[in-house]
Amino acid sequence: MSKKKLLDKTLQIYLLFSVIVLLISAPLFYFLANEIFIDDADETLQLRRNEFVAYHLPSLKSTDVSLWNAFNRDDKIEENKSKIIRDSIFYQFHFDSLANENEPYRVLISPLTIEKKPYLFIAHINLIESDDMIKGIALLFVLILSTLLTGLYFITKYLSAHLWKPFYSTVEKVERFELDKNIEVDFASSNIEEFSRLNQSVGKLLERNTKSYNNQKEFIENASHELQTPLAIFQAKLDTLAQQLPFTDAIGKTLSDMNDSLTRLARINKNLLLLSKIDNNQFAAGEEISVREVVQKQITFFSEQAETMSITVDAKDLSTCTIKANPTLLEIAISNLLLNAVRHNQVNGSVEIKLGQNKLSVANTGDSPALDEKKIFQRFSLPGSNGGNGLGLAIVKKISDLHGWSIKYAHENKVHIFMLIF
Amino acid sequence: MKLLVIEDGKQLAESIVEYLKGEGHQCEVAATVQASMEKIMLYEYDCILLDISLSDGNGLTVLDRLKSKGKTDGVIIISAHDSLDDRIQGLKLGADDYLAKPFHLAELGARVEALIRRKNFQGSNKMVFNELTIDVSAQKVSVHENPLPLTRKEYDLLLFLVSNKGKVVSKNSIAEHLSGDMADMLDNHGFVYAHIKNLKKKLSESGCNDYIKTIYGFGYQWEV
Repeated sequence: MSKKKLLDKTLQIYLLFSVIVLLISAPLFYFLANEIFIDDADETLQLRRNEFVAYHLPSLKSTDVSLWNAFNRDDKIEENKSKIIRDSIFYQFHFDSLANENEPYRVLISPLTIEKKPYLFIAHINLIESDDMIKGIALLFVLILSTLLTGLYFITKYLSAHLWKPFYSTVEKVERFELDKNIEVDFASSNIEEFSRLNQSVGKLLERNTKSYNNQKEFIENASHELQTPLAIFQAKLDTLAQQLPFTDAIGKTLSDMNDSLTRLARINKNLLLLSKIDNNQFAAGEEISVREVVQKQITFFSEQAETMSITVDAKDLSTCTIKANPTLLEIAISNLLLNAVRHNQVNGSVEIKLGQNKLSVANTGDSPALDEKKIFQRFSLPGSNGGNGLGLAIVKKISDLHGWSIKYAHENKVHIFMLIF
Repeated sequence: MKLLVIEDGKQLAESIVEYLKGEGHQCEVAATVQASMEKIMLYEYDCILLDISLSDGNGLTVLDRLKSKGKTDGVIIISAHDSLDDRIQGLKLGADDYLAKPFHLAELGARVEALIRRKNFQGSNKMVFNELTIDVSAQKVSVHENPLPLTRKEYDLLLFLVSNKGKVVSKNSIAEHLSGDMADMLDNHGFVYAHIKNLKKKLSESGCNDYIKTIYGFGYQWEV
């Protein structure tokens, strides 16, 4: 669903409402105006009749009637042949041969007596043609409507630019907020109550989030640090114990299993510490490094590892690629990718490493189905099978985020591909 | 050789002392900055193992004092805070090596050996074990005075085993030693086994006795 701006939405409703109101009020206005006009016309006609009765009738003789009719266009006197006894007012159309159209008239017929003979007083008044009136009203309403529209449009624009400015600024700041960047967000103060409240609550929310994030970070770091000492003691004791020769094969096996678990524990702890350190920006900013050299340096080691597992490593396609990065972290990121490619491979499998201008891709064969791209970069999201500790990719992701790179995963024809785009 | 272990963790210190004593070193222990200061002022040591976080202060102050008095004792920092800053600061102050906790005693043993050799044999730095001679400065090995060509990994492995002669060295410590900075390694014991096999073969072909004993399930031992 396409999203509309709040103001556009209100503007739309305003407009719709205005149009409806105008459409309903236009005919009403027409009828009302018409009514008033007719009333007025009728009053005028009656006034003319009354004036006639008061000023002209007493002195008018029946012989003067034709003369009267000749000089009065709108008030005529006729004999009352049809014996009309009451006043009546009605519409009448006269064809105007000059304008070539029917002109509407309001006509008053009033019976009166001149020299004891019954006569009719007939008064006409020319009315406005109704289509003229409709046209006029329509024009007026179109004018009102267009003024209203343009007015509303510009007011909305103005509101959006000025009144809503603090709102948009807040939204922008929240959008740019990153929990792990530890940058304080300062909302501009607003003298509008709603925005001020919004800023305050969003500010508090971010503050709480940052605080709990920092607590968690601190906890992981402290916990890992505290674990180092007992781990060191454990390792030292185990190494000391192993000197108590001779021991049976079973003891040797047990000691070895303990050593493996301990090694793994130490690595998990080390990686947790590494993650904390990256989070705490304990790595100096970058310097120019040749990715190719880093890859080549590590390939020797990994090829050797792969060889013992009958895995072939193909790294012929390496372009020169120089980027700005922290050398330690870049090495860790690349070695983690290579490590995974070897570790999660299959017997007689292969690893293919390609380096483009700004892209490093590591592809490996592997039995496992496509991985869930949303999960793989989270800590401990993949169970530590094959000796992994569930932190390798989380570290790669963290390093990639820190440098502003992106990491992508794809699965094609039973080949897992990880791409680091610089 | 005379060693001083500055470490406030009693249990860790005990194990270190026990291991290094077995290699024929004489070891003393100090648990605080105060005690360390007294010892370094009174005696000369061939090697000092220095923990940075001590109960009464920063171990680096000991290093600082040592250097300001012009003492030449070799120093290996052992720290739970494996931070780059600590490492750089320690090495800047004149430490010879840096080892992050937790570590394998075999790794510590090898580092101590290397440091003592560097300190004591200026110029010709050679390890001789019966018919086997390792020229550490030239990184060359010879058996019965005939040169024995080894790969870099085989050489490292040989030196590691000989440095810990008589000790049982676990596969894990060998794997970590050989992977160096890529310590977050595969639990690939096949890789260790392959190197041991090649080294044994080359040694025996050159007429060297088989000193490498397999300790089933756990690791290897360079028999004395």
